[in-house]
Parts: sequence; C-alpha cells; structure tokens
Amino acid sequence: MYRKKLDHKISRRKFLATTTTTGAVLAVGASGFSNITHAADKTVKIGFLAPLTGPVSAWGKPGLDGCQIWAEHVNAAGGVKVGDDNYKIEFVAYDNEYDPGKARTGAAKLIKEDDVKFIMMLGGDTWPGVQPLAEKEGMLVSTLLPSDLTPDTKTLIAPCEVHPIYNVTGVEWLAENQPDAKRVVICAQDDALGTPSVATYLAAFEAAGMELVEEPLFFDPATTDFAPVMTKLLASKPDVLCLDTCYADYVHPLCEQAFQQDFKGTIISCTADFYPKIIDKTSKEFMEGFIFQFPDFDDPALNDERVNFANPNEFYAEYAQRYGAAEWSAVSWEYASIMDIWSDAAAAAGSVEPADVLKAMKASGLVKHAFGDAGWWGEELFGIDNAVVGNWPVVVIEDGKAVIKEYRSIPDWWAKHKDLMIKHFTALGQMWNQRA
Amino acid sequence: MPNRKTNLSSWALGTALVAGLIVLPHLLSFSQREIAVLLIINVLLVASYRLMTLTGEWSLGHVVIMGVGAYASALFSKSLGVPVPLSMLLGAGTAAGLAAILSFPLFRMKGFYFLIGSFAAGEVIRLIWKYFTNPFGGAKGLKLIPSFPDINLGFADISFFEPENYYYLCLVVVGLSLFILYRIEASRIGLTFHAIHWQDKLAEAVSVDTFRYRTLAFVLASFFAGLSGTLYAHYIGTVNPTRFDVEEMVYVLIWAIVGGTATFCGPILGVVVLTIINEIILRALGLDTVRPMIYGGILIASVLFLPDGLESLGPKLKRLFAGKRPSGQLEETT
Repeated sequence: MYRKKLDHKISRRKFLATTTTTGAVLAVGASGFSNITHAADKTVKIGFLAPLTGPVSAWGKPGLDGCQIWAEHVNAAGGVKVGDDNYKIEFVAYDNEYDPGKARTGAAKLIKEDDVKFIMMLGGDTWPGVQPLAEKEGMLVSTLLPSDLTPDTKTLIAPCEVHPIYNVTGVEWLAENQPDAKRVVICAQDDALGTPSVATYLAAFEAAGMELVEEPLFFDPATTDFAPVMTKLLASKPDVLCLDTCYADYVHPLCEQAFQQDFKGTIISCTADFYPKIIDKTSKEFMEGFIFQFPDFDDPALNDERVNFANPNEFYAEYAQRYGAAEWSAVSWEYASIMDIWSDAAAAAGSVEPADVLKAMKASGLVKHAFGDAGWWGEELFGIDNAVVGNWPVVVIEDGKAVIKEYRSIPDWWAKHKDLMIKHFTALGQMWNQRA
Repeated sequence: MPNRKTNLSSWALGTALVAGLIVLPHLLSFSQREIAVLLIINVLLVASYRLMTLTGEWSLGHVVIMGVGAYASALFSKSLGVPVPLSMLLGAGTAAGLAAILSFPLFRMKGFYFLIGSFAAGEVIRLIWKYFTNPFGGAKGLKLIPSFPDINLGFADISFFEPENYYYLCLVVVGLSLFILYRIEASRIGLTFHAIHWQDKLAEAVSVDTFRYRTLAFVLASFFAGLSGTLYAHYIGTVNPTRFDVEEMVYVLIWAIVGGTATFCGPILGVVVLTIINEIILRALGLDTVRPMIYGGILIASVLFLPDGLESLGPKLKRLFAGKRPSGQLEETT
C-alpha cells in the first residue's frame, strides 16, 4: 500500500527535478560552508562542565543555551582572531549533575579526549572533584562561585560573578530607598552556596543598619514543603524577607508560601530565575518591588556605554525566541560573558593555550566585564586575586517585569565595610583558610 | 557427568570474565576508565546492599553508611595522618561499628517501619555532617582528601591518580569483597539470613536469634558499603553530605530492582547495565539533558516487562531454547 503511494507520487521527471534541485542546493550550501570554513579555518573547543539535569540545572542549562547563541554570532562574524588565524568556537558540554565524581569524569573527557582549551564550570561542590586534574594538566577553568578560590587554585578564575559579594548592592539600594524597612529575616538551603551568601547578606544588613530579627534559617536541600519554613520566618513579622541564594526550586515555593501567608513586606533575593512563573503562581501586585541581582537583557539600561556585553538586547531577543522569555535565568548570559573575556585575552595573547590566555587576562589588571570595566580582586577573602569585581546592577520587579534600577560599585562598598564582611565570613567558617 | 560439564563451563565463563575485566581499561577511552572506576565502586555498594536485603529488610540508609566509611577514612588520613590503606580499613570498620550501634533501635522495627527508621537514621547522620563544620566540613564537606599512595616498583611508578591504576586497585579490593560476600551467602549464615527473610517466626522457633543475625547482616553489609565509600573518597578527593543523600539511595534501589535481587549477580547486572546506558550510550548519543527521563522509562519498562529483574532474562532464554530443542529433535527423528 505504502509502496503504491510512492509509485503513484514520484514520477521519473519529478525525481530528476527533485534530485537536480537538491544537488544545486547542496552545492550552494557546500560552497557557502567552504567560505565559512575559510573565514574561520581553525576551531577551538571550549568545555562546558555544569549541571544540565537535576535540581541545580537552572544554573547550567540556560548558560549552555546562551553560549550556543554567542558561538553562532561569533562564528558568523568570522570567529575569534588569534594571531594570524581566525578560530571558530565549538562548545563541548558534559552534564556533571552537580556531582564531584561525574565532574572529574567530565573534566577528563574534555581535557584528554576533546582537547578543550578552557573549561567553564558552575563550581561549588563539583570543583574539588576537578581540581587535581585541572591543576595537573594546567587547564584554565572558570567558576561562577568565587568561594571555590584558594591560594592553591592558580588556574581557577571567577571572571564574571563574584557570588555572593555583589548581593551587597541590592541591600544598599534597599536601605536607601526604603529606609523604614529595618526588620529582616533570612533563609537559605544548607549547602556550599547558601552559607557564604548568608554571611554576605548579614554583613550588608549590618552595614545598612538593618536588624536581623531571627537567626538565619538554614533548611535542608531535600526540603519540599516550605509552608513551615515560611511560617517560622514570618512569625516575627519582618519588613524584609531575604531568600539568600536559594535555587529556583526553592525561590518559587518560598514566594508562593509568602503569598499564601499574606506577607506584605519587601522580598530580596540573589536570583529570581524564571520569575514570570512566580508571578503566575502569586500575583503581579505581590511581586511588585521584589529586589534581586540579575537583569533581563532586554533592559534599555544595558545599552549604557559602560556595558561591555555586545548587543545585549539582541542576545535576549534571540534567547527568548528560541527558548521562551520565561526560561531566561541568571546564568543565561554569564557563561557567554566569560567567553567575551576569554576571547579578548586569547586575541591579546595570540594563543589559545590556557597558560597564555590566563597570563593575558591578568596582564593589564583591567577586565572588560559585562557590566563595565573591572579589576582582579579577592586576596583578602579568597586568598588569591582571581575574581573580577566592578559594578553590578540592582534589579527590581515593576509591573511584572525586571527593571535595572541602578549600577552600584562593589569595590566602593568593600572599601567601606570589608571588616564586616570578613567578620561574618569568619563567623560562618567561610574564609578560604577555614574551609576544610 | 552433567555436573562436571556445568562446572567446566562455569570455570570457563569465570576465567573469561576475569580476563575481560583485566583487559577492559585498554579497550576504553580515558573518561570511560573514570566511569569504570566509579562503576566498580558502585558494584561493591549494590552487592553489599543485597546482603542487607537477604534478611528481608530494605534500608534507605545504605548510601549514608557508604558516606560514613568515606568520611571516616578521609578524616583518619587527613586529620590524623593515618596511612591511606589503613585508614580505608578503619573507615570501613567505622561504618560497621556504627551499623552495630544503629541496629539496636532499628531492629526493633520490621518491614516498612524499618525502611522509614533507616531513612531517619541516615538523615540524622547527614545532618551531623552538615552541622559540625569541625571536623566534617559542614555543607561543603571535606576536600583535598589524600589519595592512595603511589607505589614505586623500581622499574615503574604506579600512580593511583591515573584511572587505569585505580581501576586495578578497585578490581582487587572489590573482587575480594565480592568473593567474601558470595561465600557468606553460600554459607550456613547466608542460609539463615534467607530463612529469617522467608520464615522468621519458624526460624525463631528453632532457636535462631533473628536479632543477632539481622544485626550481623547489617554490620557486614555496612562494612563493605563503607569500604566502597573509602574507595570513592580517596579517588575523587572530596566528600560532602549531598553526595550521600536519598537521591543517591534511589539509584541504588533502581539498580537492585532493575537487576533483580534473587541471585547474587542480579544487582550487579543492574548497576552495570544501567551505568553503561546512562553514562556511555546516552551521553554518546548527545542525550545528556533527557537522560533522567529515559532512565525513568527504563525503570518503568523493567518493572512492567521484567518484574523479576534482568537476572530473570537468562533462565527465561534458557527455558525458551530448552523448550524448542525437543521439537527440533522430534523433527530430526521424523
């Protein structure tokens, strides 16, 4: 029956016409590809070693999606010019499931088999699994979590995010714009990401003259019922509810619970990934004034001349078209912005070799960070100046949309209040020399 | 005569398996050797879990017990300077010792209550690791754990940082452990475990102290689970409480269920097949992000179509062929 249909539909003439057309298209395509190959005649592979599945995937997968857009744009423009050659960028991803053992396997594959020249990681629990191999092989690795840095981590850099230090900008802005909001409660998942962030918020609240009315509430990462967590938090009737650096899987139910338990104050959080979904679960009115740190890249404020991220609005539009605006997360642009810094350094070094690129990155002392020129920093907190610090935006949800209110300087805050930060980091055992 | 034939084929199969395991690293890529190391550690974990289930009790704390071994060995070697091989034995011993203590409250329960009790006990241990930053490192855990010392043979340096060498170390340790576990199961003690599983009241009626035997199974299983934890800790170089949470325990249950627990080989078959599918085949196909979905699908399919696990495939196929042979013989004779 199926054969009959085929016989009936494909005549000899049609077959020839189709074959000729296909051949022509392939020939044109092939010539086009050969042109592209000629424009960027070499390829450099970059490793992407982050959680793409599991509860932490919100800080991995959107970053990979952003990198693919970045690579397409760069490759279409002829690639990255390194010395006399143009290099096409190819990302090789490995899902480490936020497990150190799998991260080690992934790093082995990327370094030994895929011959990558640079590895981007989320970091955290997974970095210690990678560290011995990366150091042995001299591989340049980036992390989004500077708390991975120690004096021994010579080839590890945090060139985009100084998590959690930038959270101080949100608190500073809150204190200036809502001077009556004084009573604060804070909760965080009890893990490597939550604790240093709590230390940062505590320092920022103290610097802003805000009062913590309850001890920080650390909940287990396996928590699924957030009703009792929120009940406990709201029992002391706070003005400000701080959600620290909770994963999206916690921020959403926490906001839902705050909504259901009729919280009327201000919520401040490091991230608000997929916030349109939170608005769907609560209300636009409830989420009005929600303060966090990660802008949507369609924000006009990103066209400020100090911003170094190329065409942020176009990048966002492309991302939203492919994956949906609601899928935009804190990391959608971050790994791509690290690639900007890597490309600049590779071009300056005239080499893609990890040691040369790292040397070039640190040579001038200045880095073209996404939100403006920034410098290497971190000696006092992490024992090594391998984190890039500069300005960071304060973002507020207004009428259901994230809006950049202001860029604030992290180094300025640090210059005034670093003793507080060190005090709280020490109290929670987060200084580099306290980490086991 | 048939027994001799069976013995011969068993020996041939065993020899081929050992030979295959010895040459295996040379057939694998570098990253696949890393996977092989973790797989062989998990084989010991799941085989030790089966010993625990022989008495009929399914625990949700087995991965935490693995963690006890890992943490203890890491602390013995890192904080107290105990040589790593010795600290590994001490780590496994600590896991067994803790199991002996836990058996007093836990074996007051049976069945579902034991399951929940073991989960609660495991969570208490995990929370202790998190709460006491000193010595357990808190939520971030312990890192820079000393690795297994290199061996200098004069003509060659054997570095256990290399996955190939660590694979052989694990192969020896796990092979020996599996042999012991197998011998335990085949011994009178193992038969008593089975008896307690299927007829505990009857076993008690003939003077079997079921509490002591359950405790023995728990302690032995915990020793080997702890040993697998020590192998993990000194290879990866870091341990944290999340690595030993209930999600990891679910994987052990899946391996055991998909493989089957009726025979010694069942859970081992489960972990090997599922790891190859999950870590090698699906990754090679570029299906990284949908692996959990496919993994779930495999579990559902195996429960529906192979309720007795992968281990039941062999006998089924054997029966299938055995059923066909007579008719073939009949055709020949006619």
